[in-house]
Amino acid sequence: MSTFPKEYYAFFGLDRKLSINEADLQTRFYRLSREWHPDRFSRKGAEAQLQALDATAVLNDGYRTLRDPVRRAEYLLTEEGFPVAEQRSKDVPPELLEEVFELNMMLEELKGGDESARPQLESAKENFLKLRRDVDNELTGLFSKYDASDAQSETAKQALHEIRAVLNRRRYIENLLRDVDRSLNPPAANAANLEERL
Amino acid sequence: MAYSDKVLDHYNNPRNVGSLDKNSFDVGTGMVGAPECGDVMKLQVKVNPETGVIEDAKFKTFGCGSAIASSSLATEWLKGKTVEQALEIKNTHIVSELALPPVKIHCSVLAEDAIKAAISDYKTKQGKATSTEAAVVA
Repeated sequence: MSTFPKEYYAFFGLDRKLSINEADLQTRFYRLSREWHPDRFSRKGAEAQLQALDATAVLNDGYRTLRDPVRRAEYLLTEEGFPVAEQRSKDVPPELLEEVFELNMMLEELKGGDESARPQLESAKENFLKLRRDVDNELTGLFSKYDASDAQSETAKQALHEIRAVLNRRRYIENLLRDVDRSLNPPAANAANLEERL
Repeated sequence: MAYSDKVLDHYNNPRNVGSLDKNSFDVGTGMVGAPECGDVMKLQVKVNPETGVIEDAKFKTFGCGSAIASSSLATEWLKGKTVEQALEIKNTHIVSELALPPVKIHCSVLAEDAIKAAISDYKTKQGKATSTEAAVVA
């Protein structure tokens, strides 16, 4: 009975690099999916079939993780012993905190029914979208820095540290954009006004 | 998860919400945040430069109930304390006063960080003020 690696990079036969060719990843995913397709194990006994199911699950998770640059980086950080959740506010530059604070003030005004905050909020949203693009460019640069260095080297560790800080900033921006979208376009039908219409 | 009565009390009737003039020389401002949950907390102290006593404290927090309660409690505790005494406030004191569960301990850490940041901002301002005065005298 064949076995499979639980580690995503190993399963896909890839080096642990942060920059990935997505077309190549997809080709590998299709090939491995065919190889491990549970139908191919239907006559090889219950155990082999279960294993094929497990392998397919890992494969799907792995593909979802590796094809997304942010998730991929989070995965590699965790595998290398840099859990992403472990962070303090010093990872966030004070200017970003100021902007986050201002934006939250606007969100509060809009929630309170003050529509005059809307245009400001919309331009703030543009600003945060731009910040997210900047952060993504910064990540691409750091990915190359990590990939170019020996995984055990100080340079690589330093790059992972920086990546973690950038990912934390990105998450902050991401959460805010979600809140902003929710305020600008509140869900149309909630239970309360549905009842009113009935 | 159930919030303790004290958290609920601070959440429903937060003390000292508002802001002080951040450009004033006797006001220190601390702004901290937790990227994980998207919380952001601003805490300000107004200090009497003669006595070093905190005469007023204000906060504004965007975040969960525990983050709001932690900063609300912090401002209550800050008033009347000297700057040095304020630095002795530890997140563990906030945790036990509010009976925060382990998953909410980071909220109290945020409040402690905010106090430290506000006082350090005040001290920086005073340091600058003193050196300018000294320069004028010289």
